[in-house]
Amino acid sequence: MAVTAGGIGDSRRVEGLGLADTARHAWAALLLGWRVESNWADPVLFAIYTVIRPVSSMLLLTMMVAIVGGSADASSRTFVILGSALWAMLVSGLAGPAWSVLEDRERYRTLKYLYTSGATLLVLLVGRGGSRLLIGAMGSLVAILVAVALLGLRIDPAAVDWPLLLAAMLLGLPPVLALGIGLAAVCLQTRQESWNYPDAFSGAMFLVSGVVFPLAVLPRPLEALGLLNPVTWWVAGVRRAIIPGGPSSIGGAGSLWTAVTGTDAPGPAVILGALFLTGAVTTLVATALFRGSERRARDQGLLDRTTGS
Amino acid sequence: MSPTPPDGAPLPPAIEVAALRRTYDVKPRPVVALDGVDLEVAPGEFFGLLGPNGAGKTTLIKILTTLLLPSAGTARIFGFDVATDTRRIRRIMNMVAGGEQSGYGILTVREQLWMFSQFYGLGTREGWRRVDALVEAVGLGEQRLQRVSTLSTGQRQKMNMARGLLNDPWILFLDEPTLGLDVSAARSIREQVLAWKAEIPGRTVLLTTHYMAEADELCERIAIVDRGRILAIGTPAELKRRVQRDSIFRLAVDRLDGGPAALARLPGVVSAALASDHAPDAQHVAVNLVLREDAALGGVVTALARMGSQIRSLGKSEPTLEDVFVALVGRGLADEADDTAPLPPSEADDDLAAAHAPSHDAEAGR
Repeated sequence: MAVTAGGIGDSRRVEGLGLADTARHAWAALLLGWRVESNWADPVLFAIYTVIRPVSSMLLLTMMVAIVGGSADASSRTFVILGSALWAMLVSGLAGPAWSVLEDRERYRTLKYLYTSGATLLVLLVGRGGSRLLIGAMGSLVAILVAVALLGLRIDPAAVDWPLLLAAMLLGLPPVLALGIGLAAVCLQTRQESWNYPDAFSGAMFLVSGVVFPLAVLPRPLEALGLLNPVTWWVAGVRRAIIPGGPSSIGGAGSLWTAVTGTDAPGPAVILGALFLTGAVTTLVATALFRGSERRARDQGLLDRTTGS
Repeated sequence: MSPTPPDGAPLPPAIEVAALRRTYDVKPRPVVALDGVDLEVAPGEFFGLLGPNGAGKTTLIKILTTLLLPSAGTARIFGFDVATDTRRIRRIMNMVAGGEQSGYGILTVREQLWMFSQFYGLGTREGWRRVDALVEAVGLGEQRLQRVSTLSTGQRQKMNMARGLLNDPWILFLDEPTLGLDVSAARSIREQVLAWKAEIPGRTVLLTTHYMAEADELCERIAIVDRGRILAIGTPAELKRRVQRDSIFRLAVDRLDGGPAALARLPGVVSAALASDHAPDAQHVAVNLVLREDAALGGVVTALARMGSQIRSLGKSEPTLEDVFVALVGRGLADEADDTAPLPPSEADDDLAAAHAPSHDAEAGR
């Protein structure tokens, strides 16, 4: 029923939220995020954040590999290009919910109105994070196209494992958003300096996700941490789907994976299974963390705190 | 006409607060923003919380609107507990705060309101229909396609008011809604609220303000709040009758060494406080005097002459809410800056909490 229906005291007005309400809230948050974050009104800003930044990062890393690696073969270059292109999407997904908390609270001063609107804050942040993820995906796509045009990246559409790519995306994006929700939980408790947290956290994730180098080069504890990280499996799944038979970030000589399983690299089924498991655990932990943070924020009066931005 | 729910049962109070207490854990010592507040507001009432900055008004509104948890005590909105029934409460209430520039600057007025209509649970078309109706009702028809960032302060507050009415709340919380607005914009906001409330019996408004005239004009009942406590509750007329027995004078002098406190110490003077409309840069000092009897005036005039103050004007006046406030609190709203009396450890307010909270003013960036 419509939210405004019923007179004063009509109990129908206070019925619980249904699935349709939750979907509406998420969709509106996605639209809001798209309108606010995409900076359509300022094409230069949009280009910088969405296109130039990821493309520059990718070019930088590729050049570094070419210079440092010297004789690095085409497959190593492809490994780096795909990893760094995906990174734009990952960073957007990680940062989206956290920046939404900070922007809505500090800059737009709307967080208190959103929080008391009847919509669930978690759903709103997933919607806002989703819009950033979409924008990040655009950056990733552009970066890959640039790599095809300028860096000689070869992707054979006929050879792409489309089902694996779809499955990796479906299973991989929720935990990416969940990590962003976890970061938002932290930002809900902190102040303005937390604008830097998403970048700092992304930097740390860069190390343990097998994005530009195999996990095997890391010390064993970090390598183990990387194997528990759903982003590692997501990146590995997407790589494997786009360039079947290409180098893997997970296995290989001297790797923890090979030492434990005796196999050179995980196959598609193992990748998806590990992605599902690590993703589910990450999502549950992030949701619990956010619920606790939300409760504490309400207790401490942090939901409408502004610190002078 | 009092509202009756469809099933005929009597409505619970719109607001029911018992022994409500809120403490902020800040250093060097905890600050008590609400210190055992009891309050009941009936459905359909226009109720005002009147008090100086930091009295605890905003803390109370934050608790009632589910933004903040109480430290102790209970608070209910139409029977729903603010600590546990938050979802239900949020469906039947809304809030509008003044003195802030909230909104997504990149969106148009229409877009911004529609987004919120979706968060309030309205359908897509119903949202647009309601947005268009409210935009006209608050007088933003010409600005409806204008970006929020281009609106004036008054226009933003009108938009904020439209947002506050989107979900057709049973109870509307207004936290200093006219703060920082010019006379015309403030009047417009007051008229909108009154018109909205008059449309349907049972619509309830809780207004916090430190503008005495606003509270007097709008509110059916008023609670005078100071330092986390409710000092008095009643209709404006009832509250004024409390000081009716005293003689109230409005005094203007060229200078007043020692401030109103110098007069408050004189025999027969109940209270002396700077008038709330007193401008700091004015050529005279305006003081509201409450005397036990007219005869005490002689002593005041003599004392002023001794202090070297020249009287510019002196007149007897009918009691106002400001006089009530001064009589109850011992100081006027305009005296806050001069208030040198230290706060007891157990009495504090929002400003204190804010003052004790660590501040970070570094420019946001990414």
